Amino acid sequence: MRRLLAAVALLAATALPSAAGELAVEAQVGYFGMTAEQSAKAVFGSSGGLTFGGAVRYDVWRGVFVSGGLRTFSKDGERVFLTSPGAPIQKLGFPVSVRLTPILLSAGYRYAHWKWVVPYASVGAAITAYSEKSDVAGQSFDQDFTKTGFVGAIGVETGHGRLRGGVEVGYSTVSNAIGFAGISKIYGEDDIGGFHVVGKVILVFGEKPPKRRPWRPNFPKP
Amino acid sequence: MAAAATLWPVRADEVALEAGSSGSVRMFPRGAHREGEVIVAFRDGVSELEMERVLRSGRTRRARRSSFGPRVLAELEPGASVADEVERFSAMPGVAWAEPNGLVWVEQATTFTPNDSLYRFQWNLKQVNAERTWGIQKGQSTVAVAVLDTGVAFEDYTDPVTRQVFRKAPDWGDTRFLPGYDFFNGDTHPNDDEGHGTHVASTIAEATNNNAGMAGLAFGCAILPVKVLGPEGVGSFFDVADGIDFAVAFTENGQRPVKVINLSLSSPSFSQTAKAAIDRAVAAGVLVVAAAGNTGGSVRFPADQSNVVGVGALNAVKELAFYSNRGPELDLVAPGGDCESDDDHDGTLDCVFQQTLRFAAVQQGRYDDFCYCGLEGTSMATPHVAAAAALLYSQGFTDVASVRAALEQTAERLGGAPAGGRNNAYGNGLIRPAAALPGYGFNVSSK
Repeated sequence: MRRLLAAVALLAATALPSAAGELAVEAQVGYFGMTAEQSAKAVFGSSGGLTFGGAVRYDVWRGVFVSGGLRTFSKDGERVFLTSPGAPIQKLGFPVSVRLTPILLSAGYRYAHWKWVVPYASVGAAITAYSEKSDVAGQSFDQDFTKTGFVGAIGVETGHGRLRGGVEVGYSTVSNAIGFAGISKIYGEDDIGGFHVVGKVILVFGEKPPKRRPWRPNFPKP
Repeated sequence: MAAAATLWPVRADEVALEAGSSGSVRMFPRGAHREGEVIVAFRDGVSELEMERVLRSGRTRRARRSSFGPRVLAELEPGASVADEVERFSAMPGVAWAEPNGLVWVEQATTFTPNDSLYRFQWNLKQVNAERTWGIQKGQSTVAVAVLDTGVAFEDYTDPVTRQVFRKAPDWGDTRFLPGYDFFNGDTHPNDDEGHGTHVASTIAEATNNNAGMAGLAFGCAILPVKVLGPEGVGSFFDVADGIDFAVAFTENGQRPVKVINLSLSSPSFSQTAKAAIDRAVAAGVLVVAAAGNTGGSVRFPADQSNVVGVGALNAVKELAFYSNRGPELDLVAPGGDCESDDDHDGTLDCVFQQTLRFAAVQQGRYDDFCYCGLEGTSMATPHVAAAAALLYSQGFTDVASVRAALEQTAERLGGAPAGGRNNAYGNGLIRPAAALPGYGFNVSSK
């Protein structure tokens, strides 16, 4: 851990002061895989799917940035019955849908030394809204709540100018959110987080980074 | 208690028209609120005069003041935008908030009340919340319950040898019968010569909502009549075992429709032959449901077997019937009735009533005369559980253990049994098929 902190400190110290004040707006689309994998497979048939959202990033100092964003992920399936993990899943035909809407508040560091690629890492809070909707012959089986967890991500951005692209992978954990009833209780799964892989389209505003001074060898003059 | 108080008109010509004055307009989904109405809540201490001034300043046609607080329902002029007026009222001094008059509605679960003329006497179906159950599932004709009993009055038939006449009971309507077998007499006409089997089968699938007679709990399901008991209501394990094997092996269009076997019978003795047949049935994915017995003693065979759902009986007020056997092998209870009492004080003895052969006629050797007659016993309770299981199969259940677990987990605990627990008198409790049918959501169970 100390080595990691030392490495982060070294990176921060050598960072260009270039991007301070830069504001970026991101549109994101990609894949989200639920940590509650078994429960999701039982009810929805699969545990992952399309996620999309957006974020705003502001570079505050020497590559350090803060960002706030929102993504959404939903799955539709049917109510089931299960006696225990491993038992045959009884599919009952009543529709059920779940939507996860995490608000992601992060801080991180962008390593802007390279010309075309800017790697970055971030950690933060995932304030996740959970919404489950189901109706059985006019009777609602709905649930809505919000639970806060953690999110970490690494990614790279590429491109110059105002329009850039990027790819990010990350993992969020929002534990003790489910598992109190329903199929998630049977499987003992309590986390509504998961991993994500998203592509980004980034629109940059604010200060332009100053041009790097080209490196010249310091030969003695003849 | 009346909620409305002052009602005063606001003349249109006195209202300052400011339509379209607001910059950003909040959008409200159509249908989620009453068109042309806005609730305006004022801060405490705002005078009546100030309220009226605010209301007159907009496109308010008239207003209704609540007698319980400083809030007013503003009815807007025709064509006025609710969103605009909410925005405008919200910005006015003295107004705490303004919002559309949103709609609320009852959370009404679908129920189904049949029109059968004698349905009102079926307290037993109300006890298992049949109307809500039918709102979810009425039964699929591809799912059959094999009734191993004294036969079922399911056809008009005259025996060519004995010239004995059998008649189909009057309230079968569209109930579907699969071609069964009479193991007692060795023929393909498992007609009833006692009445017990017809009563049991009627609890499962008597024609329902046909303006006549009574109702059955799984009236959309099919019945496979299998006669294993004779005219005295007595049979042998050999015939019971054959009847079970016949029901399990029965195929129709390449499918095996029999998902449940109803055994409203019991014995003080054990039979390896019957036990082996039951094991084969369960292994084949068929749920076996059996009566606990009516001696008030311990649970009898075959209900005492661990892979058989043993069923005890309740009276009309959800108490264990005096005759119902009990013990650790008891799994569930269902309405069995008590023909000597009127515990629910409805003016009728608390039997379980269904169509069946008139017993006076049976005593005369006639099987063509029917009544809606009352019986009591764990024999009557058992078909409620068999029918509930058939409804679960109709909904999509495919696994014996799952059907059994769903019925047991959702049963209403009685006799002081803790949630999720059981006791020897009531087993896991009274079946609640309407609670078992919905199964599980992601993080929400049934209610």
